[in-house]
Amino acid sequence: MNEIKIVVVDDSPFSVTMISNILEENGFSVVGSANSMAEAVEVVAKIKPDVVTMDMTMPGGDGLECTKALHILDPDLKVVIVSSMMDEEIIHKAKKAKVSGYVQKPLDGEEISLLIHRIMADEHLFVELEEMYFQAFKEAFTDTCNKFFKSVPVYLEENTEDAEQTSRGISVVLGIIGKYGGRMILDMSAETAKKTAEILLAKEILKTEEIINVIGEISNIIAGNACSMINKKNNLYGLRVAPPTVVYGEAITISKGELNTVSSVLADTVCGQVCINVGFNRSEQNE
Amino acid sequence: MNKQYLEAFSKAYLDIFPQFGIVDVSLMKESQGGRIIETAGVACIVGIVGELAGNVIFSMSEDVGKRIASYMMGGMEVEAFDEIAQSAISELGNMLAASACIGISEFGKTLDISTPTLMHGDFSVSGSYETVHHLEMSVDSLDFHIYVSLEERS
Repeated sequence: MNEIKIVVVDDSPFSVTMISNILEENGFSVVGSANSMAEAVEVVAKIKPDVVTMDMTMPGGDGLECTKALHILDPDLKVVIVSSMMDEEIIHKAKKAKVSGYVQKPLDGEEISLLIHRIMADEHLFVELEEMYFQAFKEAFTDTCNKFFKSVPVYLEENTEDAEQTSRGISVVLGIIGKYGGRMILDMSAETAKKTAEILLAKEILKTEEIINVIGEISNIIAGNACSMINKKNNLYGLRVAPPTVVYGEAITISKGELNTVSSVLADTVCGQVCINVGFNRSEQNE
Repeated sequence: MNKQYLEAFSKAYLDIFPQFGIVDVSLMKESQGGRIIETAGVACIVGIVGELAGNVIFSMSEDVGKRIASYMMGGMEVEAFDEIAQSAISELGNMLAASACIGISEFGKTLDISTPTLMHGDFSVSGSYETVHHLEMSVDSLDFHIYVSLEERS
């Protein structure tokens, strides 16, 4: 891994020196420091570090306000709170402010070193997921089509925009839970869903309920297989799929996902077109 | 489904809404229905996995969605059910589901929730299982629905 660049933010010059020394001793590169919120914003904008260590008490705003200001500059910046005060309320607030970790003063070199390495490894893990997840979902979709319909889909235009969508009639939503949370949405027309169910159940004239069951189940298989593929590459992801929710109607607008990464593609299948939309969030769950 | 689990959802609602300054909230009625849910215009879907699995759907009209979003943004006027309002309702769904799951964990069941998916328009939703529990809640004398479909996983 490349050298990890750190900026130390603390109102006390003494603490800045102490923290900087400990970090340097542990192999990190301290590339700057700041004693106030205004300085922190300026330094981070200029130097673009990987990590900022942040004191809780700061002139011109507390550590969490400062964290928010820095995240506006760089949403991916990792902020570690270094503070002598560390109670549940602070930890709760820190989590809400999207802080990556917290350690108590006096600083233990080994503790902060482990924490920063873990945070950077997580970052690497997300990048790895970003690079492979959509391929896994497409592969699972192709395999499933091949198995059930003896025909492989043709993929049309692909995009990575997190935008509002209008449903074609039926949408299946599958929540994904694990190291990173996300979701898969399969969207198709009522006609495509009906045809899919008819082929799989080998009968015509189906009740809505039957169509919903089949579409839900097949989506579950696709998402489950894709998540297994991803977990096999690295079991740290620990992805699991929540039971499907099927949404259908004349007018459905699917809101923007607010996800850190989204990919979608239109697949031409023997039953009609299906839009596959998958996305994940960078923030870890249950933190 | 265990009654206590369902109560965790109404309790989450009654705990969280006042945090946004919405004090006129109550549980009106509890009922049980089939899988298909007619939504009120807006639905926030959250998947649940763990020792219990299924889904929870928060549903309301767009007007109620706008009103809640306005409270959540400190009284800011919300004229349309736009991106900001949608984002607020997604966040609300996330908070309600997370809080309910923490409540359920007190009974020894660990659960994880997925990222919420928000939809609006004119549509129906299917619960994860055959039985869906319906909590009819009120907010400022308007309706807010919580549909819970959870089953124990062995």
